[in-house]
Amino acid sequence: MALFLQRLVDGLAEGSIYALLALGLVIIYRGTGHLNFAQGEMALFSTYTVYQFGEWGVPIGIAVLLGMCVGFVLGAATEVVLVRPISKKSPFAVFIVTIGMFQLLNWLDGAIWGGQQLPSTAMGSKQVKFPSLFPSNPDDYFTVFGAAITWRSFCILALVLVIGAVLYLLFNYTKLGLAMRAVASNSESAKLVGIRTSTVLMFSWGIAAAIGALGGVVFAGLTTNVNQSLMFQVFIYASAAATLGGFDSPGGAVVGGLSIGVIQNLAAGYADEWVGQEMKVGVAFLVILAVLLLRPSGLFGTSKVERV
Amino acid sequence: MTLLRTQGLTAGYGPLTVLEGIDIEVNEGEIVVMLGANGAGKTTTMRAISGVMPRQGIIEYEGRAIQKASPDAIVRGGIAQVPQGRGTFPELSVADNMRAGAYVRRDSAASVQADLEKWFEVFPRLAERHAQRAGSLSGGEQQMLAIARALMSRPKLLLCDEPSMGLAPLITQELFHVIERLNRDEGLSVLLVEQNANLAMHMASRVYLLETGRIVASGSAAELGADDTIRKAYLGF
Repeated sequence: MALFLQRLVDGLAEGSIYALLALGLVIIYRGTGHLNFAQGEMALFSTYTVYQFGEWGVPIGIAVLLGMCVGFVLGAATEVVLVRPISKKSPFAVFIVTIGMFQLLNWLDGAIWGGQQLPSTAMGSKQVKFPSLFPSNPDDYFTVFGAAITWRSFCILALVLVIGAVLYLLFNYTKLGLAMRAVASNSESAKLVGIRTSTVLMFSWGIAAAIGALGGVVFAGLTTNVNQSLMFQVFIYASAAATLGGFDSPGGAVVGGLSIGVIQNLAAGYADEWVGQEMKVGVAFLVILAVLLLRPSGLFGTSKVERV
Repeated sequence: MTLLRTQGLTAGYGPLTVLEGIDIEVNEGEIVVMLGANGAGKTTTMRAISGVMPRQGIIEYEGRAIQKASPDAIVRGGIAQVPQGRGTFPELSVADNMRAGAYVRRDSAASVQADLEKWFEVFPRLAERHAQRAGSLSGGEQQMLAIARALMSRPKLLLCDEPSMGLAPLITQELFHVIERLNRDEGLSVLLVEQNANLAMHMASRVYLLETGRIVASGSAAELGADDTIRKAYLGF
């Protein structure tokens, strides 16, 4: 029981990071129907800037907020400069553009910060390791039913739930949220009621990238460093999480992300003879496959049904 | 007084020109009906006036040129469109659809809420279903919702794009009664395009006939109804 609880909470924490990235994917997909292939790399660029702020002596709390602002500007600028003009020509081309962004940003990270893992004393870093937002010493844990739950896992899970709640309030109780839902639902009609759809999409991309930045920083805090391949796997899990939850459902993205984290951890923990660390990905994907066979639009996705 | 006037209005999709320069007028307090077959350019006319597609020529509203204005500026100015095929937000609740209609308004949330309740009284079936997703309403209810949503922006001119499409004749009749009542009681001016001429002509102050992107006839409903070829082509008797 204690071991189960521990594995469950660690799985939830890992899943929270996928959930944050998946939320970004869903917000963009709902607005425009585009899959932002560069979501992970946008997050990584912002994470590098958080490292950089740390080097300049900015405390982690403020550095994260600044990193999220960098993410917001990066996302919004991508929409205005690249996605908007190109989506008028061909929606498919946007997908190719986001793949290009993926490569460009990864190259840019390398060009600015080098190919090493950072922080690195060999590279002259002042920081010893990538700062964690949450207490992460070996003895920062509390005990529930005999299970040692780390404060770090607990706080990461709490963070994603808070972000989820904030987004829920934004979507359902603000004018911007109403506009975002209207654009997602029917963009021609949104224009006809006077919503500036392009401004709304710019905000969507900005918000998505800012949330992604938060996910990147939390993950770098877990691995204690940032490097160019940090987000590759996370992005794949996040895409899987969004698919599992339903690509148009923010709540689904959170549930999807958490589920994948939990399934992976439980499978790797209990069946390590034949699953182990290497194959835990496979188990998560089998579960997703099974769900999609039964519910093609994901757990919480809406299949378009409309009476005429 | 002239509320809306177009002069040489031209619009199309890419290389395809749909409207080949049309001149129409809507005076304050009028219900103007534009009749035309499929592909005549009715929807294009509506979309061009609302500013959601590229257009050339002159569009004047309350004496000001609006052919270069953005869609949100046009809505703010007092022109609201009920799009073809209802065009509600199917995933949003009925009440949220109507709140979205008030998006351009700068007045208080309380006065938006007051308008919401006012239109719920006019459309009691929408009130019953206020929390339901718009996509789950019947066709007639969705059309009512599309009208109510347009009204939430407090327009002076309502553009209705083929409201009868896909509706049973009785429902269409009910709908047209609502439009007439809004015109009479609220002083709302209406530009309505239709394929279904019979019902629409009854309430028209004036009628335009649109054929392949050109206005080919105009006049009062009685005048056009007296013309044999027009009557045969559009009224079917």
